[in-house]
Amino acid sequence: MLEYASYALVLLALGAYVLLDGYDLGIGILSLFDRSDQRRKEYNELIATAWDANESWLILAGVALWAGLPGVYATVLPGVYLPLIVMLLALVLRGTAIELQSAAPGYRRGWGLVFGISSLVATVCQGLVVGGVLSGLPHRGGVFTGSTWDWLTPYSVLCALGMVAVYLLAGAAWLQDKTTGTAHERAGRLGRPLILAVAVAGLVLGFGLRFADPQHLGFDQPLRATLFGLAVAVAVVCAATAWYGFGRRPDWRPFAAVAGTEAAGLLALVAATAPVVVPPDLTVHAAAGPHGSQLFLLIGVGGCMPVVLAYNLYAWWVFRGKFARPPAHTDPAGPPDTGAAAERSVPAAPAAGDGPWAAVAARRVLLTLLAVAVAAVSQDVFGGVRVWIGPVGVALFAMTALAGWIRSDRRSAAAGEFDLQAADK
Amino acid sequence: MASPAVVDISRWQFAVTAVFHMSFPALTVGLSLFLAVMYTVYLRTGNPLYLQIFRFWKKIFAVGFGLGVVAGTVMTFEFGLNWGRYAHAVGPILGVTIGMEVITAFFLEAGFIGIMLYGDGRVRPRTMAFACWMLVVGTLLSTTWILSANSWMQDPTGFAEVGDQFRASDWWQVLFNPAFSYRYPHILLAVLISAAWFIGGIAAWYLVKQRALPFARRTLSIALGVLAVLMPVQLYAGDLTAVFMGAHQPAKLEAFEGNWKSDNNGYNLLVVPDTDKGENTFQVAIPHLGAVIGKDLSGKAHVPGLLQTPEDERPDMWSVFYGFRAMYFTALAMFGMAFAGLVLRLRGRLYTARRFHRLMVWMAPAGVVAISGGWITAEAGRQPWVVYGLIRTSDAVSHLSLGAAIAGLTGFVTVYALLLGLWIRYIVRTVRTGPEHLVTDAGTTVHATEIGHA
Repeated sequence: MLEYASYALVLLALGAYVLLDGYDLGIGILSLFDRSDQRRKEYNELIATAWDANESWLILAGVALWAGLPGVYATVLPGVYLPLIVMLLALVLRGTAIELQSAAPGYRRGWGLVFGISSLVATVCQGLVVGGVLSGLPHRGGVFTGSTWDWLTPYSVLCALGMVAVYLLAGAAWLQDKTTGTAHERAGRLGRPLILAVAVAGLVLGFGLRFADPQHLGFDQPLRATLFGLAVAVAVVCAATAWYGFGRRPDWRPFAAVAGTEAAGLLALVAATAPVVVPPDLTVHAAAGPHGSQLFLLIGVGGCMPVVLAYNLYAWWVFRGKFARPPAHTDPAGPPDTGAAAERSVPAAPAAGDGPWAAVAARRVLLTLLAVAVAAVSQDVFGGVRVWIGPVGVALFAMTALAGWIRSDRRSAAAGEFDLQAADK
Repeated sequence: MASPAVVDISRWQFAVTAVFHMSFPALTVGLSLFLAVMYTVYLRTGNPLYLQIFRFWKKIFAVGFGLGVVAGTVMTFEFGLNWGRYAHAVGPILGVTIGMEVITAFFLEAGFIGIMLYGDGRVRPRTMAFACWMLVVGTLLSTTWILSANSWMQDPTGFAEVGDQFRASDWWQVLFNPAFSYRYPHILLAVLISAAWFIGGIAAWYLVKQRALPFARRTLSIALGVLAVLMPVQLYAGDLTAVFMGAHQPAKLEAFEGNWKSDNNGYNLLVVPDTDKGENTFQVAIPHLGAVIGKDLSGKAHVPGLLQTPEDERPDMWSVFYGFRAMYFTALAMFGMAFAGLVLRLRGRLYTARRFHRLMVWMAPAGVVAISGGWITAEAGRQPWVVYGLIRTSDAVSHLSLGAAIAGLTGFVTVYALLLGLWIRYIVRTVRTGPEHLVTDAGTTVHATEIGHA
């Protein structure tokens, strides 16, 4: 039974990823088709607060798969090597684009383009990965044995198109919830055509699965057929709710409905294929790690999950409601010279106290020797001779340094060397 | 068996991505602690200087953290992409360790970074401080789990071999393996130190340029204080680690001392090893010093050489020797500078010593250089094993075509080189722009909530 719990954990993480990063990838793709710089900047800022947390679910899905079902991890990842690498590279560029765009004061067309294109590429690659896995990957003893292009099938290409449609829909639903004004209207108008696209994709992919999947899908088993039918029914109801909700208040309804559709769709897929994870024959039983590892993982992750969900909800709650443009940036500290003028007029510390040349040289030699001695003691060079000098000596040096530092720091503070207001005037 | 070319390419790919990824946590772990302390001090004292410091470093931290996250995402999948057989064999042990990292640390960081970066004006300052500290907890936990996983590969304990998989027989021994107890303090000190050099180097640049002086003095003072205390401790911890590794992985020690035959008592500064013949074609050594470092003060003991290790179990001397030299000589330079900083400070000239400031600017990336060198020493020195003594690297690689492996490596090298350039350009620009003014003309301080998003 434990392997089903691991499988459920992987599915939970994957589902959360598809839902959460799905909407921000979708917004990224939408930004490619938006002509207003202001709106594109807004899309980016909207995502900047959340993409990091959203992407974490992908990482959780990856490691849960590795720890819980190592057989699947070791088969799938080399099997879909190229699309997965391209997806990772796209995610890397996308994260960079979001952060640099968000840190820049205005809108940067180049970064906006990188953000949009890498979102599209990542989505397409995710579709190719899913489609490639569903089309089956050859393996033996928990290790992939196929060739480089095995993942490229007609079904995986269709999956990529379907993935783009699903993410666009989630993106539009999220935009309706989070924005006001023109972006809000756009999202409301985009919703229904996108639902149609997703419905077509769902039908094509659903019927295509029978032909693409090399395993025999056992719809003659009553339990499986019932579960599958139920999941499909829920998906249809949710999609209808989303259809009704686009362009209407309350603004959160389309996204909630889209979330329901995605979850039900994932469950329908699982109901059709379980216990096989990688067709035709790699099941959860065959791929599962040993009992002890799964138990450790499930207790650890299960114990942390409520806390994780709690602070994720809190972070979501902090940024709840409509997105507000952040106030303009405050000015940076002016031209290089401001505040320095007063400082320059003060002459550099007088050379008094340095003494004659010989004294300076002697002092420097002594100090260098002292530094070498300190380094030698911290290296425990004499450790073989006197054991005690190691930790005790090192602690002594560290404490001396700390004491000296505190004393001088206080003196500097008293002399007003850290006084911001005096320097700013 | 995969072809040797695929193994080499996969190793290069992992090395490039790991060193690139590592250089971001190397800065952000320490920076997160620095930011949390600065914000807390600001809350307690109300001194706008600390808010100014916080705002400025937050900008650099934000982008560095983001790049670290995306590079880390790549690492999670790389174990399976190029190293499928390794992933299958150690998944039940290392998959779980890294799974724990993701659930305890990664989500914590990801959950609170949004609040820390964009929370100004939306949450109370106390909540901001809380988010900052949660980020510190997250980065430290992350370091802990990753070091635990990596140390297990260096010196595996607490497991049983069942078929072609490793299973944990004692989780306590797996997680807190002996190598971990030496390497963890070493790397923890290293990341704090490298952040301190980075902060100190940039503060020194402002002193050289005579800009934002209170900001520069305050941060330089903090950075050098941390360094003066931690540098001697780090040299000591590093030495303990080297002694431990020398006992557990003799080949690594032999490779980083740069000797082949065991007839040398000197300390090698430069070597040009000839791997096929098993000798150095060129070598510069300080006589007797090698023996002294090996705890024989008479200077006569011989340093063990790599020929003691069977040929098919030898690591590559080039990367291990020079990786170690990069770490160790940078560490000595860092120690010297920290010591000089302390002396200057005690004599009251820390803020006027021009030459020292210029040197400090050059030292800004020193910590990252040392960490990269150390990481190369640790990982290349473990070769040809991926899990020391148990799985050979050549047996761990995925069933990949040469073309796919080359495409992957090319993609990573191109994108990462681009990112490195962008990251450096971003830092340079942010530093040039300088910290923002927080004091209005009337002399009143602008508070956190009034400025809003920064």
